Amino acid sequence: MSYRGDETTGFQSPAQDYVEPVIDLPALLDLRQPGLYPVRVVGQQLRSRGIHAGDILIANAAADPIEGKVCVAFLHGEVILATLVRKGDAWLLSPSTGEPQPVTDEVEIWAMIQALVRMKV
Amino acid sequence: MFALIDGNSFYCSCERAFDPKLRDKPIVVLSNNDGCVIARTQEAKDLGLKMGEPWHLASKRPELKPVICKSSNYVLYGDMSRRMFDVLSSMTPAVEPYSIDEMFLDFTGLPGDLVARSVELRAAVRRIAKIPTCVGIGPTKTLAKLANKLAKGDRAGSGVVDLSDSEYRHERFANVPMSEVWGMGRASVAKLDKLGVGTVADFIALPSDSVRDLLTVTGQRTHAELRGMACYGFNEGPQTRKSIACTRSFGRAITEWEEMREAIASYTTRAAEKLRRHSLFAGAMQVFMRTNEFNNDPKYANSATFEVEATADSFALIGAATGAARRLWRQGYRYAKAGIILLDLYQRDDLPVGDLFATRDPGRSQSLMTALDAINGRFGRETVRSASVGYQRGWSMRRGNLSPCYTTRIGDILVVKA
Repeated sequence: MSYRGDETTGFQSPAQDYVEPVIDLPALLDLRQPGLYPVRVVGQQLRSRGIHAGDILIANAAADPIEGKVCVAFLHGEVILATLVRKGDAWLLSPSTGEPQPVTDEVEIWAMIQALVRMKV
Repeated sequence: MFALIDGNSFYCSCERAFDPKLRDKPIVVLSNNDGCVIARTQEAKDLGLKMGEPWHLASKRPELKPVICKSSNYVLYGDMSRRMFDVLSSMTPAVEPYSIDEMFLDFTGLPGDLVARSVELRAAVRRIAKIPTCVGIGPTKTLAKLANKLAKGDRAGSGVVDLSDSEYRHERFANVPMSEVWGMGRASVAKLDKLGVGTVADFIALPSDSVRDLLTVTGQRTHAELRGMACYGFNEGPQTRKSIACTRSFGRAITEWEEMREAIASYTTRAAEKLRRHSLFAGAMQVFMRTNEFNNDPKYANSATFEVEATADSFALIGAATGAARRLWRQGYRYAKAGIILLDLYQRDDLPVGDLFATRDPGRSQSLMTALDAINGRFGRETVRSASVGYQRGWSMRRGNLSPCYTTRIGDILVVKA
């Protein structure tokens, strides 16, 4: 049996009518949205952005690109994290190492990073 | 008005969604146990690879050297199908998942240009669910399905074909063979061909009554649907299920009866679950087993087809199936494949009434099966199962080139480089 602070056997709990469920983090992340893909970080090149090796990032493929945000990109056959840079009407992808690259057939914004889960701090 | 949206080389597209190295490459996905080609990208089709080719032969052909093969990963494909459905549901009022890679959309009464809407849907599914698609639009399901085939066939096209205009239909139908039509089996197509009816244009010119005489009422419905009169509503289609099969090649040859019994019990369990999901009852079943056809093992193949008391009870079916399998079993062979097929399927209403000789209490059996499905639905497949299904499963599938379950297992999620 589980006790939630309400059903006591001796003295009636004053909290009986005030019980609320525990905080539901999965509901907050809502991974059932069709555009959300959790991904795992390797490499420490984005520590300055607060992204560490081993972090789980929640990537959102339904989100629009925003200047300065980090995204998951397909870049010449690699899956990398890159920062979005705007140049006129075009988007550039700036990887943590190397030159910014214009978005083309071979350089694709896969999804925008919208949240981070770190199980060990 | 209906639309049919269909994922291009769906299984291959699921693999590509997470691996940029697969871009523009010829890829195939193999059937359970890495047996035959069941999905090909356009690049693989262009190399002359056929659907259903045994991979162990095809992979030796020199021109197919660059083809990348993947084991089938239904965990991944199922979740990607779910994403496709969810994207479509968020943008259209009614979506019917017809198969893992095809969904019917109800376009009835929607405002605006339906082609423009379809273009938007395609783009959203591509971007969010990562699946490239084609869309067919038509006033009936059969026409929407056919429009989708035409969209797929036109590689330079926009990926959307609209057959809602009857004049445009007549223009196209002179060049569309009957084999492209939904619900037309090979036998029906051959029958029509003998009468000189090769194209859809020929077919719709036939009088409706003669189509019924020739192809029964199902053919007559297809005929009406191709003429633009809807016979199938949402969640309806031409074929009714005639059998439910669960057959597999083993990961390694089975030589012990105990293992064969577990395999047969496990397949029967799976088939019986499917039976109950469709609210059907089986009145007959077939059990078969055989040795490898391709290698030098001594050959043995046998099957038994027999009637059972009409039931949807896993335990009754397992008992019948393993009993039959025991009679087929010959010790000393190396078995490569086995399976069971449930036949003679009834709806509840069509069951023989008040079976005087029923050996099982139907009420008790039904409540037991409902509980079984509820537990397994909630806590995962085979949480509760017949002990005959076994615990070892040495015979389970071979999957040499299986991709990660990127979207459903935390240990398998996509790795990104910072």
